[in-house]
Amino acid sequence: MADILGGMIKIVKSKMFALIVLLAILSTIVQIGSNGIFLHPINIRTILDMMIITGMMTIGATLLLIAGALDLSVGTVGTMAGMMFAVLLRYHHFHWAVALILCLALAAVFGLINATLVNFAKFPAFIATLGMASVAEGVSFLFSGGANVSLSDPFMRNLATGRFMNNTIPFSIIILLVFFIVYGIILSKTKFGRQIYLVGSNPTASRLVGINSRRISYILFINSSVLGAFAGIMFNSRVAAATTLGITDRQFFGLIAAILGGVSFGGGTGGLGGAFVGLLIFSAFANGMFLLRVDSFWNQAIFGMLLLVSLAFDYMRSRATYRSPRAKRKSKKTTTTA
Amino acid sequence: MPNYVEFNKISKGFPGVQALDDVSFRVQGGRICALMGENGAGKSTMLKILSGDYQADEGTIIIDGMPASYHSPHGALKASISVIYQERQLVPGLSVMENIFIEDLPKKGIRIDKAALRKMTQHILDEFELDVNPSEPVGRLSVAHQQMIEIMKAYRRDSEIIAFDEPTAPLSESEINTLFKVIRRLKEAGKVIIYVSHRMSEIFQISDDIVVLKDGKLVCELNADETTEQELITAMVGRDIGDTYAELCRNENIGEVMLEVRNLETDDVHDINLEVRAGEIVGFAGLIGAGRTELARAIFAADPISSGEIFLNGQKVNFKSPKDAIAAGMALCPEDRKEQGLVLDRTINNNITSAVLEKVKTGLFLDKKKERKLSHAAVEKYSIKTPSIEKKVVELSGGNQQKVILGRWTSEAMVTKVLILDEPTKGIDVGAKAEIYQAICDFAKAGLAVIFISSELTEVINLADRIIVMAQGRITGSLSRQEATEEKVLKLAMHH
Repeated sequence: MADILGGMIKIVKSKMFALIVLLAILSTIVQIGSNGIFLHPINIRTILDMMIITGMMTIGATLLLIAGALDLSVGTVGTMAGMMFAVLLRYHHFHWAVALILCLALAAVFGLINATLVNFAKFPAFIATLGMASVAEGVSFLFSGGANVSLSDPFMRNLATGRFMNNTIPFSIIILLVFFIVYGIILSKTKFGRQIYLVGSNPTASRLVGINSRRISYILFINSSVLGAFAGIMFNSRVAAATTLGITDRQFFGLIAAILGGVSFGGGTGGLGGAFVGLLIFSAFANGMFLLRVDSFWNQAIFGMLLLVSLAFDYMRSRATYRSPRAKRKSKKTTTTA
Repeated sequence: MPNYVEFNKISKGFPGVQALDDVSFRVQGGRICALMGENGAGKSTMLKILSGDYQADEGTIIIDGMPASYHSPHGALKASISVIYQERQLVPGLSVMENIFIEDLPKKGIRIDKAALRKMTQHILDEFELDVNPSEPVGRLSVAHQQMIEIMKAYRRDSEIIAFDEPTAPLSESEINTLFKVIRRLKEAGKVIIYVSHRMSEIFQISDDIVVLKDGKLVCELNADETTEQELITAMVGRDIGDTYAELCRNENIGEVMLEVRNLETDDVHDINLEVRAGEIVGFAGLIGAGRTELARAIFAADPISSGEIFLNGQKVNFKSPKDAIAAGMALCPEDRKEQGLVLDRTINNNITSAVLEKVKTGLFLDKKKERKLSHAAVEKYSIKTPSIEKKVVELSGGNQQKVILGRWTSEAMVTKVLILDEPTKGIDVGAKAEIYQAICDFAKAGLAVIFISSELTEVINLADRIIVMAQGRITGSLSRQEATEEKVLKLAMHH
């Protein structure tokens, strides 16, 4: 009996539980506010349709944050890759597969430069990636000449809009789930994943136990850019065109979702399970704003505030963790005896 | 002037160590009092209590008969107390004059009165016979000049009580002479002066009284004129070697040379030649900053080497990073356990397997069973006190944390041949210390070559088969266990 009680207390105290409660509360509010539209199957499908774009960026952001870094160029690099993709397809008649590989390669180069700036030039990650975001924006304009490019390849059109099973379940959400599961396994079950956590918690000590933190940093920055490129191409597929804005205004969405999902800015904590719930919260929130007819001009400001709120939560959470080892030890003891 | 400061029954404890234990002494105005003791004797703690950085757990500081009632560095300044630390507290981007008068810059209206500031600064510079431009940014000055600026900053406050913590470390001979002139002038003005230094010759040159601390306790108060260098060293070393060492089960079979270092040069250490044999414990003694940690880091490839060769088991090695060193059988327990030795936020299990992740895999994935087996073995071997291997390391005591590091480097998945222990007993309680001593002897018995760096002289002398003494980045001597005495080691450590 005591065991079951202890187990329940543990569950109630866990981060995941808090996140799911938050998601439930948010859903209830939006559900009531939207007169029941929110949980209507068609609306849920709409939410799932859009999730892959933010979702891809969430995976990249989560891994980098755990390793103690971040990437602010992911949105513009994604937009740039998406633009290059559309231009190659429409004006140069590339096969979509070849174009895809070239675009991902270009994104990878941006990730490589990000990692070099951070590891060798010793720039803080946010300065390096913010600078590279500007570069990516410029390159994007070189490709497009400042105009939107429409996307007509039928396969690519289908990628983000296609659905299974009587038009109910989007392909894209399956792709995203597969990505979350594969990355989740890498993060929690492999040597590489463990090293990400160790480096993020204490880079100095990690180096002294023989972990090559540079290698990890390179892989994660490149990974973030490549996932950003995927997101950019998916976005184009969704709107049937490459726009000059692309996913630039979604720059921080992955970061917000990851932090909402319990990944800490301090590095070394959180995981992809939490980040996925964070993504659900974020998506529900974004959709809710639409359903509750919040003026779209307000969106950007509200997302900015959401980022600040999630950062504030992160700060309070880490404060609570480091509050006092002794107080913590005491509270742990009372939990176990209960 | 009947000016004096009295330390009355001062005690101060930190987790795992009693830094000061019921220490009382009095410093008279118009006399210079040298505070002496080995590393960790409690001198710095005493100065930090005087400066208001730390609060004493018990006891009071009495100034001119009145108990002092400040609780912060700011309060100490108000009570006319200036403490000059080894670590300089200057703003590199600001000029010399701004740094010296940073606490109350002369103002004309709301603007800083640059002309007055320059004049006041030049006056002090002349007194110190220092030829620098008052508008020069402090960051561009040499370390020695920066040190002088730091001293001037305290000097111009005209405090009644001034404490110096190793002020001469970066200074040249002539600068020291000028500084001594200034200090003597302060003395003639009747100020209370406390002077901490490791340099014997200086102590006898400048001080009137000597207060000796050891392990946080007051040993004796001496009159500098009536004391010889030998007497002072004996007082510093003390005579309280416990029975812990006698009970240790030692290794008797010393094997072949395992580690050899030839003509090693780095930014911090010079001309290093040494050998460590399998089964041998080589102790490294020296004062803080003698270059022992830097040498250990260079051998472990944590810091770059400018020239020189390292041989492991007779083979020349060329490590590019700690990763290579570990793969070849080297292990380092760093001095700073919490920042460099452990990932505090992770579990005991994670920390123990962090260096051998490749060996706890099954196929592509980490194997929980293999990880647990290694961790349980370490917890058992070193009797680490914890309810579970899934406990975060941050929640363990210092001694248990150190045992986690030892467990990591000596697990069966490691191939450790050379184990470097940098201050492994720092901040650890007596019971855990004894356990770690026995563990070190066991390593030697198992045929490891052990490098044992410690600033506690008794510890090195009683544990090591051979003692290498370093001073200012160089090896100044090597003593066998039989010939080593604390006096001899201390003499070599202060050699310069």
